[in-house]
Amino acid sequence: MADGAATLTDDALREEVRAWLAANWKPLPPEQPGAGGAGWTTSPERKAWLAKVVDARWAVPRWPAEWYGRGLSDAQARIVEREFAKVGAPGTGQDRSNLWANTALAYASPTFKPKIVPQLLKNEVGMCLLYSEPGAGSDLAGIRTRADHVGDHYVVNGSKVWTSGAATADYGMLIARTDWDVPKHKGISFFFLPMKQKGVEVRPLRQITNESHFNEVFFTDAICPEENLLGPLNAGWGVLQTALAYERSVMGEGARGPRSGVAEATNEEPLIALAREAGVLGDPVIRQEIAKVIAYRRLNALNTARAKADLAQGTSSSIMSLGKLAMSRILHEEARVRTMILGAGSLLEGKDYPRAEDANFLTLNAYFTSIGGGTDQIQRNIIGERVLGLPREPEVDRDVPFRQVRGNG
Amino acid sequence: MATITAEDRTALTDSLHRLLADRCTETDVRRTMETEDGYDPALWQALAEMGVVGLIVSEEYGGVGAGPVELERVTEETGAALLCGPLVSSGVLAAGLIQALDDEAAKSRLLPGIAAGTTIATAALTGARGGWTERDVTVSAVAAGDGWTLNGVASFVTDGQSADVILVAAHAPGGVGIFEVERGARGLAVKPLPTFDHTLRLAELTFDGAPARRLASNGPTWNAIEQALDLVRVALAGEQAGAAKKALEFTVDYAKTRAQFGRLIGSFQAIKHMAADLLLESESAISAARNAAARLADGAPDAQAAISLAAFACADAFSKVTADAVQMHGGIAFTWTHPAHLYLRRARADAQLFGAPAAYRERFLEALGA
Repeated sequence: MADGAATLTDDALREEVRAWLAANWKPLPPEQPGAGGAGWTTSPERKAWLAKVVDARWAVPRWPAEWYGRGLSDAQARIVEREFAKVGAPGTGQDRSNLWANTALAYASPTFKPKIVPQLLKNEVGMCLLYSEPGAGSDLAGIRTRADHVGDHYVVNGSKVWTSGAATADYGMLIARTDWDVPKHKGISFFFLPMKQKGVEVRPLRQITNESHFNEVFFTDAICPEENLLGPLNAGWGVLQTALAYERSVMGEGARGPRSGVAEATNEEPLIALAREAGVLGDPVIRQEIAKVIAYRRLNALNTARAKADLAQGTSSSIMSLGKLAMSRILHEEARVRTMILGAGSLLEGKDYPRAEDANFLTLNAYFTSIGGGTDQIQRNIIGERVLGLPREPEVDRDVPFRQVRGNG
Repeated sequence: MATITAEDRTALTDSLHRLLADRCTETDVRRTMETEDGYDPALWQALAEMGVVGLIVSEEYGGVGAGPVELERVTEETGAALLCGPLVSSGVLAAGLIQALDDEAAKSRLLPGIAAGTTIATAALTGARGGWTERDVTVSAVAAGDGWTLNGVASFVTDGQSADVILVAAHAPGGVGIFEVERGARGLAVKPLPTFDHTLRLAELTFDGAPARRLASNGPTWNAIEQALDLVRVALAGEQAGAAKKALEFTVDYAKTRAQFGRLIGSFQAIKHMAADLLLESESAISAARNAAARLADGAPDAQAAISLAAFACADAFSKVTADAVQMHGGIAFTWTHPAHLYLRRARADAQLFGAPAAYRERFLEALGA
């Protein structure tokens, strides 16, 4: 910690943030979704504000002074965050929430880091994730996209999938195989791949819900400069674990509600309101099902609250790891009971049938949570092995040179 | 209510845990469940001296003066150990009911003995339908001289065979009242009922002109009964959550030592995935039970929803965990000598006592305004 920070009192810090915000903060125009479902774009006003926050060293107060920070403790950084939140100003707390910048700070090369870190903090570059492949989903270490060292750069060939924001991204965080003669975890490297080049092709993916939030990305002799390698060559699996940990910590409440946007008239539980509207709230079978499903959501909220209280007291909690599995069940079951309430009404779709739209959309979109970010089955392995301490499943490919591991097709 | 710090709470549950580890082992449980009264008098006395029996009894009547939060923590421990005995009947239901009524004489007469463990009390609230609602009251009371006499049959009376004092809910002119009947009263016939859960004692009580003393109540007596039942629901939820956690623990431990096909069975996803699902159930049960206790202690407006939620969530979780625990063990748990069935039996009992899960789901929805 910097010497200055050690002596800074909470009150003095609070006063300093308040004074700076009072002198500089003006509310921003609302953000607009990008054209054609291309994700969110950053307005010029927002970019200008973020640059101001970064230059004033409020963006990453926990980081060291030589990297735009102040070396503050977590407790003091939260004071900064609270003051920003009070006036509704974005931009601070990026030392917790900015996956890209945190990964770059930890692993980028000495020549690349000074270029990329400020751009990431100021939101001047768009980013995407190039992890999963058609042949490597749950078994992410089984990737077959290759990066070959040629002269002063790497040449990338292969394909990735489930990439959001790929069409607008300037860089993708890429894992690629750089050594085929060692076991699968030991031959992977981590790159910031420039996306805007001839060798990178982005194709939208049409989802089960008939939406397109993701892309497939194809690499044909795409070029990645040497300095864009993060961490040592073939140590990419470790870099990925850090990046994934940041991603999980910011994902939080990711589940989406109904798509129709029909406003709920009351504060009532949505399923109760829906059953009342459908005239089936008196049906004892439906009442039992509604109670079970509301309970799932409340129990998960209680588990989360208990886990946070445990963490605040310094005891690590095993309950945190249960949240994703719990949310899968909540979403699938809520959709099932919505469908049950609507009955034959769920046969329809389209804007004239918003309740059916909701039930059918939620039924399909529940798989986003039960498959995405690790299937429920992988999650059960993690809980079984890391929380309950059960022995691992034997892995036939664990200590075999990757070249000899069976692939798809 | 007495001021009880987090340290006090931890000290109490720690010493209770040690006492039960020492004197409420599986062997002790199996020995005790074969006895007529279904409890170990020496252990009961030790629990009373520790303050567990009189936990919720006010200090002025010799109790600890603790509330729902402490009660729930205590029953997590007693549930995990499958404690046999009248803790809930006497220390929670009867004590809670007496405290919820407005009868100073009854408090002075009964609570000190209950707290000290020297008087065992219970309440007879339901008939053969076993619903534990006001509609299920099957005994009636008529005035007789200075006192009252009771007629009718009450059933599913927990620890009815060992109780010194029975608080009977009976129809009287003007509504349901609570009537105190002493053990061995003339006109009282106590018939022990054979229970599927051998660690539980239930009795059917027949009143044929049995003399009784009416306990005074300011408001509607059923409200006082509901207050006592809320404490029982919290206690039962804690017991279920603690026992579910314990059953999952010994099942996971077994999966780490039992080998088949040259592997520990816990390495098979067929077992591992069941265990992961059960962890979600048992942790949710603990969250629900503790939340219900906290909401009741705070007198929160949503306490009824929280208690009903805990009642069915904990019952369902304990039932699911113990049912799957038998399956995950395989043949060994199909034997009488293995403890898994003791927990399964307790789970099935706890899921019916004082109201079944489906009834609590209905109560939960009603509490949410549906």
